[in-house]
Amino acid sequence: MENTKLNILPVPTFSSIGVNYVLRDVSEYETESITVREGGSNEAVRFFEDGQVPFHRTDVTVSAGGRLKLVQVFTAKQPTASALNVTLGDRAAFELVQLYIGGSDTVSEIKTALSGTGAEFRAEIGCALSGRDNLDINLIADHTGLRTTSEIHIGAVLRGQASKTFKGTIDFKKGASGAKGNEREDALLLDSRVRNRTVPVILCEEEDVEGNHGATVGRLDGGQVFYLASRGLPEERIYELAARAKLSRAIGRVSDREAVRRIYSALGWGDEDE
Amino acid sequence: MKQKTQVGDIDRSLYDFRYEEDEADFLEGGLTPEIVREISREKNDPAWMLQFRLKALEIFQRKPMTEWGASVEGLDIDRIVTYIRPKSRMNTDWDNVPKDVRETFERLGIPQAERESLAGVGAQYDSELVYHNVRKEAEDAGVVYTDLESAMHDERYAEMIRSHFMKLVPPTDHKFAALHGAVWSGGSFVYVPEGVRLEIPLQSYFRLNARGAGQFEHTLIILERNSYLHFIEGCSAPKYYEAGLHAGCVELYVGEGAHLRYSTVENWSKNMYNLNTKRALVQKNGRIEWVSGSFGSHVSYLYPMSILNGEKASAEFTGITFAGEGQDLDTGAKIVHNAPDTYSCINTKSISKSGGKSTFRSAVTVNENAAGSKSTVSCESLMLDSISRSDTVPVIDVKTDKCDVGHEAKIGRISDEAIFYLTSRGLSEEDARAMIVRGFAENVSKELPLEYAVEMNNLIGLEMQGSIG
Repeated sequence: MENTKLNILPVPTFSSIGVNYVLRDVSEYETESITVREGGSNEAVRFFEDGQVPFHRTDVTVSAGGRLKLVQVFTAKQPTASALNVTLGDRAAFELVQLYIGGSDTVSEIKTALSGTGAEFRAEIGCALSGRDNLDINLIADHTGLRTTSEIHIGAVLRGQASKTFKGTIDFKKGASGAKGNEREDALLLDSRVRNRTVPVILCEEEDVEGNHGATVGRLDGGQVFYLASRGLPEERIYELAARAKLSRAIGRVSDREAVRRIYSALGWGDEDE
Repeated sequence: MKQKTQVGDIDRSLYDFRYEEDEADFLEGGLTPEIVREISREKNDPAWMLQFRLKALEIFQRKPMTEWGASVEGLDIDRIVTYIRPKSRMNTDWDNVPKDVRETFERLGIPQAERESLAGVGAQYDSELVYHNVRKEAEDAGVVYTDLESAMHDERYAEMIRSHFMKLVPPTDHKFAALHGAVWSGGSFVYVPEGVRLEIPLQSYFRLNARGAGQFEHTLIILERNSYLHFIEGCSAPKYYEAGLHAGCVELYVGEGAHLRYSTVENWSKNMYNLNTKRALVQKNGRIEWVSGSFGSHVSYLYPMSILNGEKASAEFTGITFAGEGQDLDTGAKIVHNAPDTYSCINTKSISKSGGKSTFRSAVTVNENAAGSKSTVSCESLMLDSISRSDTVPVIDVKTDKCDVGHEAKIGRISDEAIFYLTSRGLSEEDARAMIVRGFAENVSKELPLEYAVEMNNLIGLEMQGSIG
């Protein structure tokens, strides 16, 4: 068994915090390629469950004017690693929806090369972790093309002794004039033994760009709890609703009804219309 | 034709002068146990300090360089002179300070500032303090402000120093902390007794005059319960072609209910490697405020750290970094919330221009025992051209649910709309850009001591000259 460095932070930082990379054995893996032709449109849904090969590599190419929505749902209890490499041509649009539901040890990397003029990348990520779940995400949006945009949002709920690390990098390369990148993380922590690490990185070597990132991490706002309790909701229900809200943004982007049903089932939420 | 200026060029008129040194005063370059013993002998160290230095040297030699941060490839420690014998003993009267040294500090405005607005001044020239004085009223209140070496030999403070020296920043912390432990020299010791509030600031100024040398001063400040101090630190050096090194260390102990404001304006010349370590330990209801301006040096690593160790302790860091041509300034802050109901706020601005690189790097850690804590981080970066670089690399590490942590960061350029609006009100484009940059830096400059704020505003104005067209 040989460990490989995965999820390498593009610009390493203080070693003591332990976010620069993770080590995992990825000797056994499977790959998939998804290509969208010029002007084409596609939507794909992938579930990563127990019993599958534990390391997946997905290569995506969206040609000029093409559109792709990719939904990835991680529910495996076994250690899992995923690498998603995306290349976007001129005016190509890529929407990524990822849901991480449980998982004892999941390592996931998303690298998107926005190399075409006007390429767009949107990511909606939801995480529901509990018990001793451990998740490490490394998302990198490389802006090299003119007027490229990236919109990244991650909502997370952590319970028990769950641990999550989200490294989100917006990298404005020289020449990416007119590029814009926004990144937002909202992590709701519901137990005193959880651990949440957030590393929102912006790298910039181009003047004519706009980059923003924001993060809120912690408990539910006391004012909100008070308001909802005053409307008659029991405290347990209030926290449940807040947890659902963190994930609903990502789930709301999934248009495949069968996929939504499976997601609800994995989350233990019952039927979608309940 | 517009006048094109550079930060380093304009500001060097103030800082870029030097006097010839007698190289017989230099210890041999490089780092060996013999050199460390010689430094210790020159400084008449107590036995424990010599042992400490030798142990730190061992750590330095086996400790690897960090795997992150700006490149220090141009720094050859074997060529750095770690100690320069002083021209005179420390004085409490400027008239007794050697003429060229006195002139240096006069040109930097230190004696004038002492007369007008300071309760005490320490002035270090190369490896040793040449002047230290404190106003009588501060002394009468029990405030101690002296050089660390004298205090170490004073039986009233010897044990205090031994029990605090490099306990917050141990030599094992990183390679340059170990280097500092081995060759430290100069710096200040400040002790503020319980309940004493020193409303007028103390200031230490560090000047490195010698070519190819290092400065390794150690600042140790202890504030007892419910005391207050504003400490100002300034530093500069003339420019040489050889690399110079500053690896100072600042350790701040803020007692229960005490409040320390620590302001720094760093303006080393652009051949300097500024690898400095600053750390504060804050007890219950205590407060540390850092105000930091980083303008000089070729490479900087600077992340003042606040350990909030008592209930309701708080930390605030306000900083600005201005990276121009040939500069790689890696700056930021670290906060550790290690007690309930602690509070921290980081607010930084960085400006990159003419090929300079600025990196904002931070770490906020909220430990399991810090329930009820709150933290907010805000960093804004301004790119003034496309040959520069600006990175933000913050980390938030939260280990409890009962906390509120927020982070906001922005990067961008001066908007065309803002320029259009200001020019429509009659300003030239150049003035409009300078005004916007000054406004961008205003929340930091207003926290600086007045003379530094004025200097920073002038610097920005001069830097912006010729930045269009």
